[in-house]
Amino acid sequence: MRLLLVAALLIWAAAAAAASKLPLDTLGIPPQDEAYYKSGVIKCRDGSGRFSRDQLNDDFCDCPDGTDEPGTSACPEGKFYCKNAGHTPVKIFSSRVNDGICDCCDGSDEYDSNVTCKNTCWEAGKAAREKLKKKIATYKSGVVIRKQELERAKEAFAKDEAELAKLKGEEKILQGLVDKLKEQKRLIEKAEEEERLRKEKEEKRIKEEAEKRAAVEEGAPGASQEAGSKETNDHVQEDDSKVAEQHDVHATDHGNHVPESGTSVEEHGSESQDGSVEAGTVDEMPPKESAAPTLEKDSSSENPEGLSREELGRIVASRWTGEIVNDISKDDAKGHADEPEIPEPAEEALEDELEMPEPAEENYGGYHSEVEDDRHKYEDEEFDHGSDDEYADDHDEHVESYKSDDDQKDDLTESEHASWLDKIQQTVQNVFQKFNFFKTPVDLSEASRVRKEYDDASSKLSKIQSRISTLSEKLKLDFGKDKEFYSFYDQCFEAKEGKYTYKVCAYKKASQAEGHSSTNLGRWDKFEESYRVMQFSNGDRCWNGPDRSLKVRLRCGLSNELNDVDEPSRCEYVAVLSTPALCNEEKLKELQNKLEAMSSSQPGHDEL
Amino acid sequence: MDPPPRRLAAPLLLAVLLLAASSPAARAWKKDEFRNCNQTPFCKRARTRAPHSLDAPLSLASGSLSVSPDGSISAELSHPSRPRPLVLRLSALPPHALRLQIDEDYSTATPPHRRFHVPDVLLPDIEARTLHLPDPRTEGGVSTVALSDDLDVVVRHDPFELTVRRARSGDPVLSFNSHGLFDFEPLRESKPEDETWEEHFRSHTDKRPRGPQSITLDVSFYGADFVYGLPEHGSTSLALRPTRGPGVEESEPYRLFNLDVFEYLHESPFGLYGSIPFMIGHGARASSGFFWLNAAEMQIDVLAPGWDEASAPENGRIDTLWMAEAGVVDAFFFVGSEPKDVVKQYVSVTGTPSMPQQFATAYHQCRWNYRDEADVDGVDAGFDEHDIPYDVLWLDIEHTDGKRYFTWDHSAFPNPEEMQRKIAGKGRKMVTIVDPHIKRDGSFHLHQEATDKGYYVKDANGNDYDGWCWPGSSSYPDMLNPEIREWWADKFSYENYKGSTPTLYIWNDMNEPSVFNGPEVTMPRDAMHYGDVEHRELHNAYGYYFHMATADGLLKRGQGKDRPFVLSRAFFAGSQRYGAVWTGDNSADWDHLKSSIPMVLTLGLTGLPFSGADVGGFFGNPEPDLLVRWYQVGAFYPFFRGHAHHDTKRREPWLFGERRTSIIREAIHMRYSLLPYFYTLFREASVNGIPVMRPLWLEFPDDKETYNNDEAFMVGPSILAQGIYEEGQKSVSVYLPGKESWYDLRNGSPYKGSVSHKLQVLEDSIPSFQRAGTIVPRKDRFRRSSTQMVNDPYTLVIALNSSSAAEGELYVDDGKSFDYQQGAFIHRRFVYADNKLTSFNIAPDNLGEKKFTSECVIERIIILGLRSGAKKAVIEPGNQEVEIESGPISLRSGSSPVAPTIRRPNVRIADDWTVRIA
Repeated sequence: MRLLLVAALLIWAAAAAAASKLPLDTLGIPPQDEAYYKSGVIKCRDGSGRFSRDQLNDDFCDCPDGTDEPGTSACPEGKFYCKNAGHTPVKIFSSRVNDGICDCCDGSDEYDSNVTCKNTCWEAGKAAREKLKKKIATYKSGVVIRKQELERAKEAFAKDEAELAKLKGEEKILQGLVDKLKEQKRLIEKAEEEERLRKEKEEKRIKEEAEKRAAVEEGAPGASQEAGSKETNDHVQEDDSKVAEQHDVHATDHGNHVPESGTSVEEHGSESQDGSVEAGTVDEMPPKESAAPTLEKDSSSENPEGLSREELGRIVASRWTGEIVNDISKDDAKGHADEPEIPEPAEEALEDELEMPEPAEENYGGYHSEVEDDRHKYEDEEFDHGSDDEYADDHDEHVESYKSDDDQKDDLTESEHASWLDKIQQTVQNVFQKFNFFKTPVDLSEASRVRKEYDDASSKLSKIQSRISTLSEKLKLDFGKDKEFYSFYDQCFEAKEGKYTYKVCAYKKASQAEGHSSTNLGRWDKFEESYRVMQFSNGDRCWNGPDRSLKVRLRCGLSNELNDVDEPSRCEYVAVLSTPALCNEEKLKELQNKLEAMSSSQPGHDEL
Repeated sequence: MDPPPRRLAAPLLLAVLLLAASSPAARAWKKDEFRNCNQTPFCKRARTRAPHSLDAPLSLASGSLSVSPDGSISAELSHPSRPRPLVLRLSALPPHALRLQIDEDYSTATPPHRRFHVPDVLLPDIEARTLHLPDPRTEGGVSTVALSDDLDVVVRHDPFELTVRRARSGDPVLSFNSHGLFDFEPLRESKPEDETWEEHFRSHTDKRPRGPQSITLDVSFYGADFVYGLPEHGSTSLALRPTRGPGVEESEPYRLFNLDVFEYLHESPFGLYGSIPFMIGHGARASSGFFWLNAAEMQIDVLAPGWDEASAPENGRIDTLWMAEAGVVDAFFFVGSEPKDVVKQYVSVTGTPSMPQQFATAYHQCRWNYRDEADVDGVDAGFDEHDIPYDVLWLDIEHTDGKRYFTWDHSAFPNPEEMQRKIAGKGRKMVTIVDPHIKRDGSFHLHQEATDKGYYVKDANGNDYDGWCWPGSSSYPDMLNPEIREWWADKFSYENYKGSTPTLYIWNDMNEPSVFNGPEVTMPRDAMHYGDVEHRELHNAYGYYFHMATADGLLKRGQGKDRPFVLSRAFFAGSQRYGAVWTGDNSADWDHLKSSIPMVLTLGLTGLPFSGADVGGFFGNPEPDLLVRWYQVGAFYPFFRGHAHHDTKRREPWLFGERRTSIIREAIHMRYSLLPYFYTLFREASVNGIPVMRPLWLEFPDDKETYNNDEAFMVGPSILAQGIYEEGQKSVSVYLPGKESWYDLRNGSPYKGSVSHKLQVLEDSIPSFQRAGTIVPRKDRFRRSSTQMVNDPYTLVIALNSSSAAEGELYVDDGKSFDYQQGAFIHRRFVYADNKLTSFNIAPDNLGEKKFTSECVIERIIILGLRSGAKKAVIEPGNQEVEIESGPISLRSGSSPVAPTIRRPNVRIADDWTVRIA
């Protein structure tokens, strides 16, 4: 064999161009390793032994790690170096050496086999260089875009941080106001109560007097008292409704006195007002996904008695396929079933009608359905940002706070210009000043003003708190080493693949939509592989399979583009997202170096 | 793409499903869907009968016993109450087999139908091989016939009883009807008014127009400690456990009825995909076998001693009760001095296993489903990227156009030929699935043709039977008919099977046949086949005929020059002639890994050497550690394929982290390095039926310790391995049989024989050993596939025994054609003795003109157990000196030198030579 090999080498060497001669003592050895093989006795790299120079590439494996046979297939764990002049040098598994298949573009791996490999390095190298150049060009532009993005991200981040700091300050002040107003309100209510009792007493007294009078002045009616009592009631009712109506009004300009009291009010969060609003909000939310698991049951254990032959067949088949058999219709005529695979289109339509309230994007159901307790509400609001808002107008104010981030922000920042906080403070001052607790009866219009101010201020406060919570949650997220993914926060990427539309919202969730039905492919999980993969996990459950998940592989591109969505394993999706965020300079350098190496290994040639 | 989750059509169904889901057993094996013995009238009747309690016991008509002109003995069996006598025929096959045939005597009162004799299972030359028996000696109602020098058959006349015994000692080996349970229900002219023949099971009605016709018989195995055989059942025990008797938890009898069982149990006597009514009895002094050629449903009881209220026999005896729904008695009694004799005789009757192509013995990669050409490309590339060899990529049902076999889903596989050529460019092959159910679709040419020609199995009313399977409404070609098999075979021509190429082979699934809406998920028993045969009579052989027709198709396609490769799920006695089988839809759990060993061993004992279990387990996701362990065991299965259900996660070998990838690679590499050894074993199997993977007692028949060993197994005569069947197992006890030592396959460490060794469990391998006194040929260079290994040099591993001797064999041919049948192969015996290794030619020279030669040399000879410190060896002829160095036993990074290794002797495997240690 050794002789054969040497002979073959000689023939090969004779036939080959002088420029690419491969003598036995360099066969399969990368240039940088040649020095390692210079000595007379050479060590196996794994330390298992040593070998003499004439055992180098003698087609017998002396070092189990392959040190002594870089140029033959004798050691299973060896690597063969192809120079591939004109293209990129590569190391191939020694199992490829002389196996009858051309692996190196220079054909050097098949020096002793029954195939003749053409040297394709020049063409392949040219193509590869072209490709690499294109890639470099993309990277070059990408790096610029990325830089701009980073600047913007930096600004946006700073802005968010500043806003957060400011909001926190405002929150503190506003909290104080609300507390005061609350106390005020309590006092008013107390005063009102006292007044009511007093009035009652008064009325009682008047009534008694009247009765006495009547007993004296026989038959005279007590109309005036009744009318008075009624009037009072009406008044209160009117006030109540007014509060409700004016819920949305923000700034008012009543000038009233402020009492000096700074009594804090407990249990702000459980104020009946808040409570009822929240309850209402909950009602608006889609039902939780309690029904969802029922979608995925095995129908096959149904009693086959009384089923048609076809139904029985489908049910038994479904055990293997995992399809749900619920087609009771007989329209798929036996014997001529065109597409017996379930589901039938008609069935699907039916299913859609009966669809469980699906966590469709538009109503954020996927997230809210997770909310088991109102206490988590603020935490969950972060998911709303950037989504459409269909609730806003015809619901009460609290619901409005489910508006998108931008809306919420505008709401706050808009007033900022008018220094809304000052205004509100001023207003409250006025209210306080105006109101006179010692005046009896209570000035009803003033009392309602206090109530209104309280409502306004506390609603404002919860908005601020919500925004704070949103912002601080956001700022806690992992936006990459250079915050290069900061802009992903408000973005969704879409791709169409066949009948499905895929939507990937970074930091939120991913979904697959077909018509009106949407499947959750996973909630945002994390970045993986040093920010080269976005992982979405715990999507809708698959029948007989795992929860759906999606891995989005990121690569450098000039714009954010989602592509190549695939499902290599049942319910485990993959996709590719091109984005400037991945166009970093180090990688560009690397590519440029690679190109340089490729071009320089082609002496005397310039492909341009 | 996976569709969005399905939604329910009706609240009612929702409620039903909720209920179904609440029970954890909802997805498991559905016991209720299968008939147990009590629900099966013939079984219940026979099983509840006490010994010697028949109303009409059969006896031999006196004076009817005579030798026929063909050398067999015939006689009449009768009872006054029977409408017709039975005809009995006894014949002998060398060296030690007795055949007993009993059928009705149609020459007197003719019944409306004839009983079914299973055709095309026994080798056609069987009659020609029948011995001419001498005249029986009759004395006192007992006749004795000498079958051979050392074997007699003793026939008692009334009641009829037959005993095969050793002539010299008079020791019985096998007996028939010793418990008077032999019953043969006569076919009747018509149904009496007061009887109902119909049987009901769940929503199905079996009209049973021919009425009761079952046969029951009892067979005793003398001197047997255990009985084995009767595939196919899920079991972690190789020996057949008793099904009833004192001290035994009564179970169902072993059922032989080919069924597609969803999520089958790893431990159950219920029938699975295939049936072989062959049982082997083995004890220290005797080996014997009983084979009943009958394709109807069969139920077999293995009876614990004392079941008949008699005291346990002195020398050990196992009684068995065999019950069949229909058919005739065509039974074989095999006697051997060791168990291999019994197996050899069984295949001498049912045929020797076909010789597989080289590629088929390598690693196969399958999944339901590799979805499209890009997927195929990606998986193929994945193997190369990770330097893991594989030979065959498989496509399951989804590759077809709507489950119409022989077609392609053109959106997923627009260029099937190009795809196959690309795979073939790396020396690899592909396999597509072809099932027997044909979609009833008027525009499908195959259906049209089968309908027009009347080639489908008929229902009880004479219409084409219409069942439900993957494509929906389907019909089934009647494979009993040779003409239809011929027609089917033609469908595999390149012309008929568009998109097929010469490197495409076939997988037959669902051929029990599986019928989703049929009784017990199969075809109704009253369906009708060619030749007035009811489905009940041939059920267990339907898949066999289908397998046969497919293999014939590939044979025709290759003009008789290319060995077919067809994997079948259903099987019957004789399936070994047509290809490989596997153990069907197993599950990804440790118990199924464990039961795969007894299951594969049992198949080997019953003539089917080429079998394996789906590596990883078909249903469910294997824990990564389980998957790794499965690869380590699977690398020793004769048929080595990874497969997975479509709901499972991807599990190609490189998906579980680098460490596991390298362990799996190691396991697959081990298989590839042993391919020369495996191929030599397949050769042996193809000659005499001795399985590739063997129970320990097949090699060590006298070692009682081995009889009940369900965890360890032999690969050929030289290698013993034992799987790790428990998660996180730390230590394992391995029994190494025989007097000689054993050498660890991975590091050459010696271990004593006849001892149970407690070994530490290693992550990267399962316990595996080479027996001292053997020589194993290997090829230690790994390639993309076995195809590129053809010219690679060999390594011989010699494990010296206590007399410093060893021997082994190497068989090599072209790996694909039939030229070997005309002598085109290399077959060497290597013998090491007196410090000298000699290569002998053991190929017979009378096989034909064709020659095969090879330039392959031996690059390395590792000698385990060599004491001398010799540094040189001398090769003759040529008087060439070569070096001896200390070398590792396997070429893995970090392995240290452990044994004297002859470096580059470079002797050709085709030549005679000696290598002398100097």
